Amino acid sequence: MTEAPGRPQVVRPRLTAGKSVLLTVPMMLLTAMLLAGGPALPTDPLLLTSVAVTWVLLNVVFFRMLSTGRVFAYRSALFVTLAVAFVITFSTALLSTRGSLALSDSDIVQGKTPFCHLVIPFVIVPGIFTRTIIFPGTLVGTFASIGSMIVLWLGATLALGRAWCSWICFYGGLDEGFSKLGKRPRIATVPRWLTHLPWAVLIAVVLLSAVSLSPVYCEWLCPFKAVTEAPAITNALVIFQTVLFVTLFVALVVVLPVLLKRRAQCGLFCPFAAFQSLANRVTAFDVRIDRERCTDCGLCVRTCPTFSLTEDSVRAGRTLITCTMCGRCVDVCPSGAARYHVKGTGINASANAARTLFLFPAFVFMSAIGGGMISTAIWRLLRLATTGSMF
Amino acid sequence: MQPFLLGLASGATCLAYCAPVLVPLMLGEARGVRRSLLLLAQFLGGRLAGYLLFGFAAWATGRLAPPGTAHRGLAFGIAYAALALLLLAYGVFRSPTVCAGEPRGVRALLRRWPAALPAGLGFLTGVNLCPPFLLAFAGAADSTSVWGSLLFFALFFAGTSVFMVPLSLAGGLRRFHAVRIVGRLAAVCVGLYYLYVGVLLIVREVAVP
Repeated sequence: MTEAPGRPQVVRPRLTAGKSVLLTVPMMLLTAMLLAGGPALPTDPLLLTSVAVTWVLLNVVFFRMLSTGRVFAYRSALFVTLAVAFVITFSTALLSTRGSLALSDSDIVQGKTPFCHLVIPFVIVPGIFTRTIIFPGTLVGTFASIGSMIVLWLGATLALGRAWCSWICFYGGLDEGFSKLGKRPRIATVPRWLTHLPWAVLIAVVLLSAVSLSPVYCEWLCPFKAVTEAPAITNALVIFQTVLFVTLFVALVVVLPVLLKRRAQCGLFCPFAAFQSLANRVTAFDVRIDRERCTDCGLCVRTCPTFSLTEDSVRAGRTLITCTMCGRCVDVCPSGAARYHVKGTGINASANAARTLFLFPAFVFMSAIGGGMISTAIWRLLRLATTGSMF
Repeated sequence: MQPFLLGLASGATCLAYCAPVLVPLMLGEARGVRRSLLLLAQFLGGRLAGYLLFGFAAWATGRLAPPGTAHRGLAFGIAYAALALLLLAYGVFRSPTVCAGEPRGVRALLRRWPAALPAGLGFLTGVNLCPPFLLAFAGAADSTSVWGSLLFFALFFAGTSVFMVPLSLAGGLRRFHAVRIVGRLAAVCVGLYYLYVGVLLIVREVAVP
């Protein structure tokens, strides 16, 4: 890789091409199984093409992560693709199954609302005390049912902790996509107290959901309603809610990420992100700063997308609990001090081994959840191009 | 004994209704368990005052019926809005980063009478409509004297208050400065929600009398 003139040479551990190929082979087999969804390949040529393109994309990205040592750059490209694919797949799935993106009262009563992981923290307390799930979805057997989403989330959370937010969350990719626009940040710093806001929103929404026995976040604060589904506009209250959703989306997912060049929604607002941070305590992986290599240049602190590094935390050789293991600090660190780490091992243990051990589960979950979305989105777009209709 | 047991039985619901106000306060003022117990006592004192006021007012007017059969929305809308404004004032004006220097206005007021904040929040929580409150009201309606009615409310209040005590353990988080910031920001979030609820109730009452 050729570095731009004037930029420091980045010390980045990487694997040889041979080792990278060898380690990519199991991923090729796994992703083939995941994308094919069975022993036989799809017969529809468009579907077969979309599955093949997705398979190649996933494995090229994984191979490049291993061989170049650049995790953030490749993950980010795939992550943004996943988010865009989610919007296309989800919207078209709703249009074909329900006939509309708008959520009617009848859909809510019949429990036809797809469950989303952002709601998980808010259903726990009422679930314990009232033994009911305060969400108008179905427990099992439907598209994005409550049971399947919770099982998926639990597995990924135990394996990855808050890495969920940078490897799986299909909303985070939108935030990240906008944060990559523009050359340099227009707002260089945010007040430290503002980075505590997700915890405050989490506390407030959990308590208010418990009182009102309704998912307050979905009803009032979810910016992603603007690009997925929202209640059908039937009265002034819903108009107000819709205006709120669009405003939050524009402010938190578009404008602020562009101005900050960081993930404003994920780092400064999302209550699920705060909740998910707690899982970093149980997962086997984290990102550490090797103090012997660190030159205290502050580059990692200035560029961390989710505000998960401070001067103090760098001095302590750690990230904050909110770290999403996105790989940004690992990629930009000029001295190779920031590195993936397996808990219980020394900081001087092989950086390559720790990174590879982390990449396998992270990429498997990313492929398991995002692979199908990307493949379906490509299929929809191919259908649109060849037949003039996505359905 | 019956009202006390009734309070114990509905304590969890009562806790759910008070927690959005009490938890941000406990986190925002996390300075040890002893200090949190004092805050809790002040909050509960205010809440008891709210309960007793309602009991007395209902008895005095000779209308021992669920509160607010007339202009219920307006009364509770105003109560919600007042609670919201107090929470917002607490969240904004007690923030060490937002207001540096010599305290003035609301911040000075909160410093001069520190008990006014928790007691005020407790009072406004006490006068808001919630299922346990209605339960107590229905029970107190059976009393023939004002003292019987007040005693019923007081014992019911004692039963529900047992559930609030564990929240004072939040004071043990005083080592973490961030917890206090989170508590105050949470107060602002809850305040905004209650402001919306209050304004909505008032608007509905005014638009559809």
